[in-house]
Amino acid sequence: MIRRAAIVLVLALFGLVFATLTVHHVERHSLPPLGKRYVELVPQELGAANVITGILLTYRAFDTLGEIAVLFMVAAGVGLVLGRREGRRQDLPRAAPQPPRPASEIVRTGAQILVPLIAIFAAYIIVNGHLSAGGGFQGGAVVASSAVLLLLADPRQRLDQQFLSSTESAAGVLFVLVGVAGAIFAGGFLDNRLLPLGQFGSLFSAGAMPMLSVLLGVKVGCELSVIIDRFRS
Amino acid sequence: MAELIGSLLVLAGAVFHLSAGLGLLRMPDAYTRMQAGTKASTLGNTLVLGGIGFFHPDWTLKLLLVIYFVLMTNPISSHALARAAHRIQVPMGRQTTVDALRQACEKSRGGA
Repeated sequence: MIRRAAIVLVLALFGLVFATLTVHHVERHSLPPLGKRYVELVPQELGAANVITGILLTYRAFDTLGEIAVLFMVAAGVGLVLGRREGRRQDLPRAAPQPPRPASEIVRTGAQILVPLIAIFAAYIIVNGHLSAGGGFQGGAVVASSAVLLLLADPRQRLDQQFLSSTESAAGVLFVLVGVAGAIFAGGFLDNRLLPLGQFGSLFSAGAMPMLSVLLGVKVGCELSVIIDRFRS
Repeated sequence: MAELIGSLLVLAGAVFHLSAGLGLLRMPDAYTRMQAGTKASTLGNTLVLGGIGFFHPDWTLKLLLVIYFVLMTNPISSHALARAAHRIQVPMGRQTTVDALRQACEKSRGGA
């Protein structure tokens, strides 16, 4: 009885919180000054239809580089922690764990159909980053989800960690190199006007932005796949 | 007219989603709950997305892709979950008397 009353009380409090939120919410009819400036500048100066990606990959590209570095450190930390535990497990003589059972035929067939679909969707998200919602980070996460599906469909499969790590490092180095090229040939570090801006709204436009987006997607996808593969054991 | 049909489809989808939620609460064991959640929510999703298609005819192709994706993933994932539950011997409800998967497993083991 007391439990029921407590649940009702909590629900009522939640209702109160959301009610006050919605009552006091006033829809903005104009942008704040900074936002307005960004909305004007990004299509004009950078030639990107998606303002958010425009900001993330040029004005705040240094932040983005920091975020990639954080993700890289997460991958390295996970490798350190989980890799060590695996070594300890080998020291202790224990009963051999059951070999993973192969997934059922339905799951395997479904994965065969879905993995290419997911990969195409990821590529679409990545290369359309400067035009519509999406970008390297989101697309990379979708790539990693297809890796999860592969591993679920065939648990005995091993991802080629060496290949993934070197691809990821290469993408990171290229990202920084594009940034340095921007500092030399254009306005500053990671300036996208390194390449011609092209026609506004087309696939190859917004200067170096699609390239940066693809590099980001490759890097994030490889990194998250490595993290997932490490968590498996 | 098209908007009315679309609204009705979305409403029907919402009713199926509601029944999925009720099923999760009311069903006796893990398997029947999974079945209620999967079946009703797959149909509910399809109906809601179809209803949205009536409101925005230019989204039809994208919505069809989403429906295809849901139809592919929802049953497969619940199938995998149910098999995993069966594997670790999650108990069945008292009313359940037939375990076809176990029978099939024993049969194949006996034949091999």
